[in-house]
Amino acid sequence: MNYDILVVGGGIAGMESALTLGDMGYSVLLVEKEPTIGGKMILLSKVFPTLDCASCIATPKMASTFHHSQVTTMTYSEVNDIRKTPKGTFQVSINKKATYVDFDKCTGCQRCEFACTVAIPDQYNFDLVGRRSAHIAFDQAVPKKAVIERYGSSPCSFACPVSMQPHGYVSLIRSGLFDEALEHILKFVPIPGSLGRTCSAPCENECARGELEGSLPIRQLKRFASDHYYEKYPNPKYGPPGEILDKKVAVVGSGPAGLTAAYFLAKDGYKVTIFEAEDRPGGMLTLTIPSYRLPSEVVERDIKNVTALGVEIKTGHRVESLTELKNDGFDAVFVACGAMQDTKMKVEGEDLAGVVGAVDFLKGVNRGDKIDLTGKTVVVVGGGNVAIDSARVARRLGASKVYIQYRRSRAEMPAFDVEIQDAIDEDIEMQYLKTPVRFTGKDGKLAKVESISMKLGDPDESGRRRPVPVEGSESSIKVDLCIVAIGQRPDIASFADNDKSKLTRWNTLVVDSTTLETNIPGVFAGGDVVSGAATVVEAAHAGAHAAVYMKRYLRGEQLPGEPLQQMLPVVDRNEVLKRQSEYRTLNPGKRKELPPKERVSDFSEVELPFTDDEARYEAGRCLDCGGCSRCGQCVVACQADAIDFSMRDEIKELEVGSVVISTGFELFNPSSKIQYGYDHAPNVITAMQMDRLLAPTRPYNTVLRPSDGKIPDNIAYVLCAGSRDCQVGNELCSRVCCMYSIKQAQLIMGSLPLADITIYYIDIRAFGKEFEEFYQQAKQMGVSFVKGKVARIEEGDNGNLIVQHENIAGDGKSERTEHDLVVLSVGMLPNQDALGLLSGGEIEADSHHYVKEVDEDHSPARTSLEGIYVAGTASAAMDIPDTILHSGAAAALAAAHVERVKK
Amino acid sequence: MNNKVRDPREIMRDEMFMRDKVLAALNDGPKTVPEIAEVMDYPVSEVMYWVMAARKYGYIEEIKEPTEDDYFQYKLVKNE
Repeated sequence: MNYDILVVGGGIAGMESALTLGDMGYSVLLVEKEPTIGGKMILLSKVFPTLDCASCIATPKMASTFHHSQVTTMTYSEVNDIRKTPKGTFQVSINKKATYVDFDKCTGCQRCEFACTVAIPDQYNFDLVGRRSAHIAFDQAVPKKAVIERYGSSPCSFACPVSMQPHGYVSLIRSGLFDEALEHILKFVPIPGSLGRTCSAPCENECARGELEGSLPIRQLKRFASDHYYEKYPNPKYGPPGEILDKKVAVVGSGPAGLTAAYFLAKDGYKVTIFEAEDRPGGMLTLTIPSYRLPSEVVERDIKNVTALGVEIKTGHRVESLTELKNDGFDAVFVACGAMQDTKMKVEGEDLAGVVGAVDFLKGVNRGDKIDLTGKTVVVVGGGNVAIDSARVARRLGASKVYIQYRRSRAEMPAFDVEIQDAIDEDIEMQYLKTPVRFTGKDGKLAKVESISMKLGDPDESGRRRPVPVEGSESSIKVDLCIVAIGQRPDIASFADNDKSKLTRWNTLVVDSTTLETNIPGVFAGGDVVSGAATVVEAAHAGAHAAVYMKRYLRGEQLPGEPLQQMLPVVDRNEVLKRQSEYRTLNPGKRKELPPKERVSDFSEVELPFTDDEARYEAGRCLDCGGCSRCGQCVVACQADAIDFSMRDEIKELEVGSVVISTGFELFNPSSKIQYGYDHAPNVITAMQMDRLLAPTRPYNTVLRPSDGKIPDNIAYVLCAGSRDCQVGNELCSRVCCMYSIKQAQLIMGSLPLADITIYYIDIRAFGKEFEEFYQQAKQMGVSFVKGKVARIEEGDNGNLIVQHENIAGDGKSERTEHDLVVLSVGMLPNQDALGLLSGGEIEADSHHYVKEVDEDHSPARTSLEGIYVAGTASAAMDIPDTILHSGAAAALAAAHVERVKK
Repeated sequence: MNNKVRDPREIMRDEMFMRDKVLAALNDGPKTVPEIAEVMDYPVSEVMYWVMAARKYGYIEEIKEPTEDDYFQYKLVKNE
């Protein structure tokens, strides 16, 4: 056996049982689902009838339990399953939830909590105030260690190809931490400015807010962060790393893949040289993407993020042989030269002057070639972003008429929707389901494009419906220029010739899908040169991915080596939306851009940036799907280096001799008594909330009204709220409500001497030792007791509450009395979690759904299954002294069972 | 009090966005929760959450004696 006894639940009952058994010399494992032991008792202000401080009693017991030599405490853990073995012991399965904080290092300083950017309701203050995702439950928590609440990966973060944790920078922007937002992004990619303008933003497709009014504009938020940061910091704040290694790496190509790989390699101290065939770095970012979408100065600033690390970029240097690079002393090579060669249509007349490839056309424009299309007619062929770019550039160069011919329909167009719409807004005519079949000309110069209409057939291997020519549908247009944008391929024939590099039939490099290593050891490749033309973010991902394996290679490690850690499973968007009963409507802001007529006159950036307020509004729409946003502020704040996001839940399989169930009780949720107004009147609170307001660790500075912070001076208690009430399915008396209400009344009279307190009751049950005296004392102090069931609570204009009740002790009439705060003395309900713990058997419940004590009179704490015992309120509503007695009984029975098993 | 009460989870999520507005409202001197709400033009019951959170995390503190109409005033905590 691993432990003699398992105690499930670390409230007062569980602690008492564990301490009793530990003192007897048994080894005890105490499992608690919350991050701290103490249960509900530690959250109380004082206990009745002695008015002793609850914390003063509970805290030493918590510490004694946690530090007891015979008791092992496992917090933030849940028992998944208990199975009885033939020898009478129990096999238990426990899920030790990841805290993402190394408890050995955590000092309990709460810096992580203060730095955290995600606010959620504080269940330890019963939602009277918020807490943070990173948090310590309360000041007296044992262990006093932080945990970070994560429900899984946020859908946006899970969708991001470079795992950029968009939720992280969104939550930073929401908090006004704009610099930190960009520095967060820089942990994952060096080109935030470019991605903020050109990213395909798969994150936005997954945003849970998309199920409501529309997803967050995550890409634009990234752009906002980079604009803000770049304006403030024209140069990176960092320089080369402190330690430079003696290994050299060559990167072929300075596009997004090459820059990203170089960035991560250089950060780790490798000496990186980038070889760029063109006369300026940036690859497609500077060569083909038009400046109205991506200004060159933004790319230049992105590139500084890489060169600041000491990366050298040699422009105008075309690499013809990879093995030659290795011979020149480079220990590893990353090939990321993109796919910059236009694919030909292979139709008649394509070699006429006036038929050009889109890459060649766009490169010429970005290079500054003098191209004047004033008054000309232009046809662009293709449906991708390059086609759209070409058409919009042609428009800006003066073309009077621009057509885009695409052989499928708009639904199949690979270009971004927003780009297509922008093109349409700029009077570019979209000719869907049409493609050129012939170019005709005069004197070797294009004069006409002859096209044919298409219809959509069955889906092809890409999943898109195959275009099929419609016979007899030929038509023609007189044109001056045709730009062919049907695809690009890498220009890497020399690698095949000189290095025997393996190529695919699409003329891309063959790589290992895990490591991205080519058939030449030490030569890796990624981006468009491997995938064919893809998106900027996919290229950046390839660079980051390759850098991981290149570093392993350079360290002499076996490839592929240890698998990369997977992200947490993505949270279900529907589950996220169920967290709230309803949502305020927060429409996304309208995209701001230059008016179409104005923008086609030059190459000014079309999309306009967010203001600070706009960015924070948009970020404020985030639903915090994953809980923790992974913004990383806790990591920065923690001086003990205790934050560890690599932690994962662990399943522990253990054998124990006996089990004590001390899973406690639930409190009645008064939302179901709609006539009491708990859900819509802020000044109707529960007694547990009042206990928090009275406790030394209270959420407010004193007892205040939640509606407006006013000190209440006329407080009502409504007893039997959710107990002795068949309408809510709980006919039982909760045994504690009368006394805790009287306790609170006395405490309020101490802290608010001028307050009037009225307790509406059916009858007062003062059955315990000194309870009656306690009740009489409250009367003498001036607490007003009104015998009568409350029928309804209505809210007035000033937040005051009208309590409608029957005055049984008076004339029996219905009365309406005004109070400024109403406390519902909510009842106790069974916690039914315990009933499902056992597999291959059943822990029987009584008719009220508490754990059944099969021989309550003669052998309390004994359940329907030998070896499993129940302690405290898991078996019935009871007060703290009774709970402690009951826990002793459970401990004795459990000890006896262990002795029998050992024999 | 005819304002519709929002889900507390949503109000608290706004805290990170609203904190600066609460602090800005206190720039020109201490205020009660209703006074802060008036400056912010947000429902008082929602502002109460944000004010108490700002207090919990040490951005603001109460002035010891309440006003004549039984409200506490809150002021910015001066960072040393």
